[in-house]
This record gives sequence, structure tokens and C-alpha cells, in this order.
Amino acid sequence: MLIEDNKFTGTNSERVMASVKVPEQKIILCGEYGVGKSSLFRRYATNTFVTATDRKSTLGLDHYEKVYCSGDKEVKLQLWDTGGMERVASITSSYYKFAEGAILVFALDNPDSFNILSQHLLDIVTYAENAKIFLCGNKYDLKSQIQVTDADMENFCEQCHNLISGIYKTSCKTGAGVEEMFTDIARQLSDSNRGLLYVLSMEMRELRSSGSMQNTVQSASFFTATHYAW
Amino acid sequence: MDEEYDCIVLGTGLKECIISGMLSVSGKKVLHMDRNKYYGGESASITPLEDLFTKFGLPSPEETYGRTRDWNVDLIPKFLMANGQLVKLLIHTGVTRYLEFKSVEGSYVYKGTKISKVPADEKEALTSDLMGMFEKRRFKNFLVFAQDFKDDDPGSWKAVPGFDPINTTMNTVFAHYNLDKNTIDFTGHALALYRDDDYLTKPAGDTLKRIKLYSDSLARYGKSPYLYPLYGLGELPQGFARLSAIYGGTYMLDKPIDEIVLEDGKVTGVRSGGETAKCKQVYCDPSYVPDRVQKVGQVVRAICLLDHPISNTKDALSTQIIIPQKQVNRNSDIYVSLVSYTHQVAAKGWFIAMVSTTVETDNPEAEIAPGLNLLGPVKQKFVTVSPIYKPQDDGTGNQIFISESYDATSHFETTCLDVLSIYRRGTGDDFDFSKVKHNLGDEDM
Repeated sequence: MLIEDNKFTGTNSERVMASVKVPEQKIILCGEYGVGKSSLFRRYATNTFVTATDRKSTLGLDHYEKVYCSGDKEVKLQLWDTGGMERVASITSSYYKFAEGAILVFALDNPDSFNILSQHLLDIVTYAENAKIFLCGNKYDLKSQIQVTDADMENFCEQCHNLISGIYKTSCKTGAGVEEMFTDIARQLSDSNRGLLYVLSMEMRELRSSGSMQNTVQSASFFTATHYAW
Repeated sequence: MDEEYDCIVLGTGLKECIISGMLSVSGKKVLHMDRNKYYGGESASITPLEDLFTKFGLPSPEETYGRTRDWNVDLIPKFLMANGQLVKLLIHTGVTRYLEFKSVEGSYVYKGTKISKVPADEKEALTSDLMGMFEKRRFKNFLVFAQDFKDDDPGSWKAVPGFDPINTTMNTVFAHYNLDKNTIDFTGHALALYRDDDYLTKPAGDTLKRIKLYSDSLARYGKSPYLYPLYGLGELPQGFARLSAIYGGTYMLDKPIDEIVLEDGKVTGVRSGGETAKCKQVYCDPSYVPDRVQKVGQVVRAICLLDHPISNTKDALSTQIIIPQKQVNRNSDIYVSLVSYTHQVAAKGWFIAMVSTTVETDNPEAEIAPGLNLLGPVKQKFVTVSPIYKPQDDGTGNQIFISESYDATSHFETTCLDVLSIYRRGTGDDFDFSKVKHNLGDEDM
């Protein structure tokens, strides 16, 4: 978690060396309370579903990493849940920091949860401006109660000036569409045709994961060594 | 909010967020409220830049400041000691995974009329102009003693005849090693990080432990003992708030706090507008209970926006400079800290310097002049004088536990001591780090 400054000025060969490690990409879930963000998280992490939608179901969910293969490349997705902070308060801005991807989640049977997404989108572009943004309509299993149509979703994407990189429909209850969505997100994030910003943020990420607070860097110190000569 | 909680925490400053996290982790049902719309209270980092200008009654910043969203300006300057209490708390609670840190590039100390680098390795020590040749030798012997010192091992005390950590004063130890007053100044203020000279007549054990903390912190990353989080110190309270939420804490922002309700001298709830949330305990910062705290002093802080690094620091992108009290005829030290665009707290090419000290006169801004003079041209300066409050009692009677205002120290050690003390008073126990369960996603901890 510690960034080593000297590596920013490292040579190209050092950068190539660093990129051998599978990079992890932070993906955040955004959207109203109760649309199924934690259910998506649970499907993703353990492929399970809990019917009880009480507060307890979000307890203890933080983030989870999984490796996806896209062609010959490996991508490690690190999915983050909100921790339920959006229930009454707002989510901290630090939740968005360093995100490479953001999934806007709404419930297909709840138009309000869809109509408010522009608010969540604003938070994403403010605090995670490099993140690729995806749209996910959840609760697809509630066939007869669906009130948000494909046309609504496409309109929304158009209004957002094509900021949205993918549209998905999922059911956490049945599991339908969930794995497909994450596989596609992994493919899109591994796409090497992304701009320079992406390359830079990849390097940042590499550097960030290269140091850790627990990995003590023992360097020749002024104070620790008893064998220094003055 | 008409529910019943074990604890209600008021204010989302760093101390309150750490406490909230620790209480939630310990299984308490916590409601955490703030009167502001944002997290962090006084420990927030202000963004965008126009919010900072507005806060100080100034018109919007001109275009030269770049994108105002790129700015995250702290109101209270501090660094983390790499081996200090806050880092331990961050690691044990797993909050490290919400944050990214950078090592501060250098630590400097003011001597005579100029600043000198606090040596971070042997080579720097050899060429340092802080001490003469013979003094370096004496200082080395002293450091070996400090490094080997253990307060429970009399074998490690032998180098100083008759030494014991409680009855021997630091003056006696310095006298034994025959250190001159400049070296003592440097050791007490730049290494042991004391703000005044009271420590000289107090037990030497505490000072030796502080010197060890400095050297152990320095050993971690080599350049300086200090760390700073990307996007500013405001990320710290947010990290602990997330911890609290993950463990079931409920968050409410933008809630006016109208009354802390007591019955028979004990707290029973908190009223906001027409709603009252019941609770057994309240934890809060002094601003929520002005009639239950007393003013014990003042801190002056100047936030300075610069478009250049500080001279004589080898163009460091982050640094700390300590001006020991005696060097400028004061009773308390002046601290200068510098962070920059590389920490995602300023637009490209910009630096934020903070100069602070404990107020001693009627003209606080004049007191920090020696620090301001080191900075060179300042584009914009914001000066605040903040009162320091302490609670009138320890809270065990009425079950209202109040934190102390953030002091003038340059790091978070006293912040953590206050938090751990409040937790102990409130729960009757020391915080049990093993209560932090291993969750999904803990694999990197």
C-alpha cells in the first residue's frame, strides 16, 4: 500500500517487469439502498443468495477478488460493496477513489431506483473520473413486474453521452446474467486499447500493490545500525 | 432514527470515526451522526478549492490554481509515524486497505538561521552540518544506548551508571553523554518530537521510547519516519467510518443535534428536531457539548498555497521542518509541513505548506513568522486560530465521553492515546484487536 516514488521514474524495463503480476482492478457497486448490490456481491463472491433483505445481509461485506481470463490475459477484479452507508447517509468519497470500474445498479421493478441513477453517475465522474461505467438492471426474475424497459436504459445511455460501457440484466435470485456481466466487465477492462490514462493508472496500481505496510523495507538506517562509521 | 442504540457518536472527525469503528467491531449497536453534510468535521480535507476560499470569505480562486477538484486541503496538518499507534490501529482493523500512503521525503530541523536535514542514513549523518566531529561521536554513543534501551530489562540500562527509567531524568542522560545544547535541542524536538522542554526534568524512559519510535519508523521506509495518505488526511476518518458501517454502524449526515437528553444525571438519548434516538452512551467532539468542556489553549495554523517547493530541501515534494522553541526564543515548537500534487491534494505543480504552533501571545500570526519565512513566496495564505478544549470530566458519571481538540503536534500519537483512553473509559476494557474478524476480502491483510 505504500507507493515508492523512485519507481515512477523507473526505466521501461522495470515497468515491463512490474506488469508481469496480474493487476487488480477495483470495481465499485453504486445505486440506491435495496436494489440488490450486496446480492450481486454475494453472487460474485460465493455464488449464493440470501432471501432476507434485512440490514444484516450487508454486514461484513467489504471487498472480494476474483481472477478472470480474457483471451490470453488475466484480469483480477476486486469488487467493493458500499457497506450499507447509503441507507440514510451518503457514501464516503473515498469509496470511489482508485476505482477502475463502477456498476450502476437499479431494480428493474423500481423506476425510482432507475431515475435517480444520474445522481450516482455524478458522484462517480466526480470522485472516480477514470472509471469505466456499467449499467445493471437487477431483479430480472420478476418478469411480470418489470417497469424499466430496454428502451429506457438505452435512452439513459444516450443522455449520458455514451459514458456507459455496457448494459446488463441480472437476477441475483436465480444467478442469471451475473457471471456473464463480470466476465464482460473483465474483458472490457483488460482491453489494451484504452488510452494513456489507463496505462498510467495501471502503473499506479502496480506500484501501489508492490509495497505493503507489513513488508518492512529494511534500509541502512542512521539509527538502527550499531555498525555505522562516522 | 427513533430507535434504541448502545452508543451514539456525534461528529465524524478522525477520533470519533476510530471510536465508532472500534465500538461497532466490538459488537455495539452504533448510530453515528454529523451536523455537516460531509464526513470528517475538522479532520476533513476541503475540496474543491473554491470551498476553501469560501470558508475564509474569499472570492473564487483564479484559473492559475488549475482544476479546483484536484485540491484536497487539510485543515489540521499531521503526518503518520510509520511505526506509530495510528498505523497499528489501521493495520489491525484492516482500514489500511481503503487507503494509499506515500512516505514523506525528508525531515528538517531549524538551527541558527537555516534548516538542516535530519540524517536518514549513515552517509547523510557523515556529511551533516548539525554537529561537529567529536559531537557526532558522543551522539552516536547516546543513540546506541537509546536504541538498545528496554524499560523492562535492567541489563540494557548499564551504559549509564545508576540509570533507571523512572527516577533518572533526561537531563542526567544527556549530561552523561556530554551532549551540547544544540544536539539536545535536535534530539528532544526533532527525534523525540517534544513541543517544549518539560521532558528534560521528567523520567528518561518516556523520551527514550519516543526516540525508538522515531528510529523504528525511519527503519520502515528509510527516507523519513512519516507517512501521508493520498487525497489527504480526510481519507482517514472515512476509512474508519466504512469499518464501522461494515460492522453494522448506521450513518446519518446533515443532522442538527438539538439536545443530549439526560435522566438522573445519565445520558438516555439524543434529540434531532422532533426525533429522539435512545442510547446508553454518547461519544462526541467538544463542538457538540460546548458547556461540558473547558478551553486550555489555542493553536494557530496557516495554510499556504505555493507554486514551488521549499528552498534548501532539495526540491522535496513532501517534507517536515521543526523549529525548536529555543532557536526562536519561544516556549513551544513551530511545525512546518509540506505536501503537494504528488499526494493528490493539489493541482499539478502546486504545493500546500502548513505552519502551526501553540499560541503564546496576543499576536498568533506573528508567532509563526519564522516558519512562514522559510516558505518563500506564498500565493495564498489562510490563517486560523483554534481553541483547544478538554472535557471537564472523564465521562464515566453521565456516560458522555468527549474527545479533546486536535493539538499542535505534527503527528497522530496523542490523537490515538486520546481515542484509546476514551474507549477504555467508555467500555471499561482495552480495545481487543482480535475482535476484528476475518471477512471476505481479508486475504491481503
